[in-house]
Amino acid sequence: MKPTIEIMSPAGSWEALSSALHAGADSIYFGVEQLNMRAKSSNNFTVDNLPKVAELCAQYNAKSYITLNTIMYDHDLQLMRNIVDAAKANGITAVIASDHAVLMYAKKKNMEVHISTQTNITNIETIEFFSVFADVVVLSRELSLSQVSDITREIKRRNIFGPSGKLIQVEVFAHGALCMAVSGKCYLSLHSHFSSANRGACIQNCRRDYIVTDKETGYELEIDNEFIISAKDLCTISFLDKIIAAGVEVLKIEGRGRSADYVHTTTKCYKEAVVSIADGTYTQEKIQRWTEELSTVYNRGFWDGYYLGRMMGEWSNSDESHATKRKVYLGKGLNYFDKPKIGYFKIEAQSINVGDEIIITGPTTGYVHAVVSELRVNDILVQQASKGDCVTIPIEEVIRPSDSIYKLVESRTGNSK
Amino acid sequence: MIRIIHLREKCIGCNACVELAPDRWKMSKKDGKSVLVDGEGHNGIYMTLVGDDELKKNQIAAKMCPTNIIKVEKVHKKS
Repeated sequence: MKPTIEIMSPAGSWEALSSALHAGADSIYFGVEQLNMRAKSSNNFTVDNLPKVAELCAQYNAKSYITLNTIMYDHDLQLMRNIVDAAKANGITAVIASDHAVLMYAKKKNMEVHISTQTNITNIETIEFFSVFADVVVLSRELSLSQVSDITREIKRRNIFGPSGKLIQVEVFAHGALCMAVSGKCYLSLHSHFSSANRGACIQNCRRDYIVTDKETGYELEIDNEFIISAKDLCTISFLDKIIAAGVEVLKIEGRGRSADYVHTTTKCYKEAVVSIADGTYTQEKIQRWTEELSTVYNRGFWDGYYLGRMMGEWSNSDESHATKRKVYLGKGLNYFDKPKIGYFKIEAQSINVGDEIIITGPTTGYVHAVVSELRVNDILVQQASKGDCVTIPIEEVIRPSDSIYKLVESRTGNSK
Repeated sequence: MIRIIHLREKCIGCNACVELAPDRWKMSKKDGKSVLVDGEGHNGIYMTLVGDDELKKNQIAAKMCPTNIIKVEKVHKKS
C-alpha cells in the first residue's frame, strides 16, 4: 500500500537539498534571503536560486516550501512581498508563515500558505481561524498525541477546509532539535547577546551548561549534571504508527542547519518507516535498526518529546553531538567513469584504507554511502592511500568534481541514549 | 576621525544598528537590510569617514550586531 504520509525534509544547502530528494523526501523546506528562522546559521538560498530549486523538486515530484516565518518589521514588507511574488512566479508550492502580513499578502496573491510552528497552534478554533489563509498547519510541539488526535478528528467533524477547498492538513515535528521555549518563541539569545532567535539569529546559548547560584550565600548548584535548558532531540520513529493514527499527514524533520548526511539518514529512515506502517511491516527489529542508524548522525541524545504525555522535558548531558559516528574529511572528487562505475578522488588529508566506510557529498550528488572494496593508486591495487594520492574506488553512484569524500569513524563521545 | 565599514550582504535586517546609532544607520525598505548613511563602496562592502563624536554609538552598534558585519576603526591623520 502506498503511504499518503508526507515526509518533509530540511534543505539548508544544495547538498542537503539533493540528499533529501535522493532519499525520498516528499517535500523540502528552505529559506531565502534573511526572513527565515535560520537567517544566520544556514547557507540560505537567494531569490535567484528559486527556478533551480523548483526544477529539482519537480524532477523528483517533491513539493517545495519557502520559510518566511520570522517576525516582520515594516522595513521587511517589500522584501517579503518580493519573495512571495518570486515563489509564486517560479512554481514553489507554498510559503511557511507566521506573521499576519505574510498570510494576508500570500492570500491576495493566491499563494499556498502553511502555518509555521512560530504560531504555536494548540486548539481547533485557532485552526479554524487560520483556515482562511492556510491549507496545512503545524501543531505546537508541546501537544500530546491525544490532543493532536482530538484536533484532527474535529477538523473532519467541523469540515474545516483551507483555501484550496480541501480539508486542512495537520503537520507535526517528527525528528530533530527541540527548543526549551514554547514553539521556539525564545528571548534568551536576544537578552544575552542581542541576537534575536525570532529573526533567525539564535546563538543557541541554551545549549551550554549553567550553574545556579544562590546570591545570598554564593552556593552553586549544578543540577544532576544536566544541561538544564538544552532539550534532547526529538525522535519519534519508535511510535510513528501512533502519530499517523492520530491523523497527522505531514511529518517534519527539523534541521536546516544540518549537513547532507543528517538529512539523508533522517529522511531515509522516516520514509522507510511510513512505508512499513502502510504495508504492515513496522516491526521492533526495524525500529531498532532505524534508531541505530539515526544515532549515527548529529543528535543531542534522543527522547520522545511531549507526544506521549510527558509534563517535563528531557535535557541533554553534553554540548557535543551524541552521534555514534563522525566524518573525517579525506579529499575531493575528480572524475567518474560511467561504464566500470569507478570514482576518482584526490586524497588531501588523512589516509584511506580498503574496508573503510566512506560518504561522498556534493551539491548535485547529495549523499552517497559506500564501503571501500578496492583501492588503486596509479592503477596499482593498494590497501591504503595517503594524503597527496589520487585514488580510484568502485562506486555505484555517479560522483562529481564538486564532491567531498569523508570516512566515517566511530565517535569517541558518541552514544545512542 | 573614525571609519565605519559595513559588510552588507550578511545583514539580517534586525534593526539593532538603527536603534543604537540612528544618525548613521537606516533600514532599506527595498531589501530590508540596513544602510550605512553616506556609505560608499562596492561588492557589498560600504565605508564612510565620520567625526569622533559618533565613535561610541557606532562601537556599540558594532558590538551588538548579531552577524558582526560592522567594523569601527579610528583613523589617525598623517602629520
